[in-house]
Amino acid sequence: MLKIYKNFWLVNWAEQWQYRANLLMYLFYWLVSPIIYLAVWTSIANSKGDVKGYTANDFITYYLLLLVVDQITSNIVIHILADKIMDGAISSEIIKPVHPVLTSTLVYNVAFKALNFIGFLPIWVALNFLFKPNYAAITWQNILLAVPFLIAGFAISFLISAVITSVAFWTTRVYSIHEFYFALVVLFSGQFVPLTLMPEMIQSIARYLPFQLMIYFPIELLLGRLAPGEILHGVGLAVFWFTFAVVAFKIVWKRGLKQYSAVGA
Amino acid sequence: MTIENIIEVKDLSKTYKVSERDSGFKAAVASFFKRKFKDVKAVDHVHFSIRPGEMVGFLGPNGAGKTTTLKMLSGLLNPTFGHAKVMGYTPWELRGEYLSAITLIMGQRNRLSWDIPAADSFLLNQAIYRIGDIEYKQTMRELDELLELGDVVKKPVRNLSLGERMKCELAAGLIHRPSVLFLDEPTIGLDITAQARIREFLREYNRRYNATIILTSHYMADVTALCERVILIHHGKLMYDGALAELSRKIAPFKVIGVGLENAADYDLTGYGERTVGENGDAMVYLRVPAEQATSVTSRLLAELPIHDITIADPPIESVIEQAFQG
Repeated sequence: MLKIYKNFWLVNWAEQWQYRANLLMYLFYWLVSPIIYLAVWTSIANSKGDVKGYTANDFITYYLLLLVVDQITSNIVIHILADKIMDGAISSEIIKPVHPVLTSTLVYNVAFKALNFIGFLPIWVALNFLFKPNYAAITWQNILLAVPFLIAGFAISFLISAVITSVAFWTTRVYSIHEFYFALVVLFSGQFVPLTLMPEMIQSIARYLPFQLMIYFPIELLLGRLAPGEILHGVGLAVFWFTFAVVAFKIVWKRGLKQYSAVGA
Repeated sequence: MTIENIIEVKDLSKTYKVSERDSGFKAAVASFFKRKFKDVKAVDHVHFSIRPGEMVGFLGPNGAGKTTTLKMLSGLLNPTFGHAKVMGYTPWELRGEYLSAITLIMGQRNRLSWDIPAADSFLLNQAIYRIGDIEYKQTMRELDELLELGDVVKKPVRNLSLGERMKCELAAGLIHRPSVLFLDEPTIGLDITAQARIREFLREYNRRYNATIILTSHYMADVTALCERVILIHHGKLMYDGALAELSRKIAPFKVIGVGLENAADYDLTGYGERTVGENGDAMVYLRVPAEQATSVTSRLLAELPIHDITIADPPIESVIEQAFQG
């Protein structure tokens, strides 16, 4: 199995390396909104002293860590898979003796991230020089504790997107469904602002949704702002949503294959 | 299934639900709220069985259900009704052991990655099918010898000619040495030499590994060169299953003579042969004539009528098949 992943990696890396200019454009597009939020909130906090206890440095560290965390936990499943399902190109992968999503799609996504990271790193370092954050709150223990949550965050976001993308077996409207889903992510994950600055109602809903595991939770964990009880809540949340996503994906994929009409080929 | 049959198909049926609407804005709006569906029977209670090592040709006009049948047998499609067993497996259960023993190669669809050399895709397949290094090297040597791949595999696939690409597709699909091959139009778009080479290769592969091969093709030559047995499918129904020789005798020995004739309507041509439709709707008049009379009818036509152009051809495969089941 390891060899399968290794060879998928080699092929995907070689393939995507040819599109590195394209990747760089995607990277710039992705960077725009977090940097705007960062600039806006930092200047507000600077003028008022703080926003609900968030100082300028809190905002700076939050958004700079957000960039890293989002790089790790986000996914592009729909862009890899949806067209393949709709135009039938997935056919050749379906009749191979390995699961297409858990091999080909997954490795493609990870290779994409790795390549993205190479372009992202210098930009991130430059942003750190520009905003001069104080990372004193981050300890090695926090980082070690955050690693499994980052993996879980990616696994959950990957699987949920895979479930939504599988809807392409039934309808060609899958992109608009995913847009709606992405709006939920922005709202409930902490991508827009730290969740504690959101209205009470949104916070209490976000507490039980999987989205905070993708952004807010790992960042707060890194910054050491979570009480043991909240970390435990996060463990429960991660276990529940991971299990849910695995089961949902298995069911939807199996039904989708039954429904599949293998258009073209 | 019995031991002697490697493929058994019974009552296999596939019905597609196709949404349909008229063109135009009003129809588009209406269909948004209430979509109309039509059932299309692509494959309709087909049954046959195939012994190991057989090479069988699937014939039928476009939309006859050939490809749909191949897709069901390879596991891509779930049938609406009926059973199929291949090597004892139900294809659409997509069991790993089953998928490791078959291949589906489609001439119109490439499964090699465009941006990298085919050799890299081969290595990926080696890992996917868990082929040991020694076995892989040996298979590659054999495929190289049979297909004369050479340096072609080192070039990015996007830079290959159609013929080169098809060779690579075949190699990629056969690295795991499948014992059952489903080939959908494997020679489509290739020139005569390339077609002949692919045919030669398939015959040799079949001989060497006793592989079972089912192939569809629009080129009658593919089928006559490779298959002793043909299965005819038309409108999703099985129309003929038997020896190729039997079939040609049955349908037959007809030629189509096309004549270029001014004011064709003024002449009564019934004495020469049966009027038939040409391939491309040109101004020629086409006559269907028994093969053994083709020469005599041609000379009579030339002698008796003011003809400025004449062609003699085998009837296209579609009309051969239509013919077979009309008469």
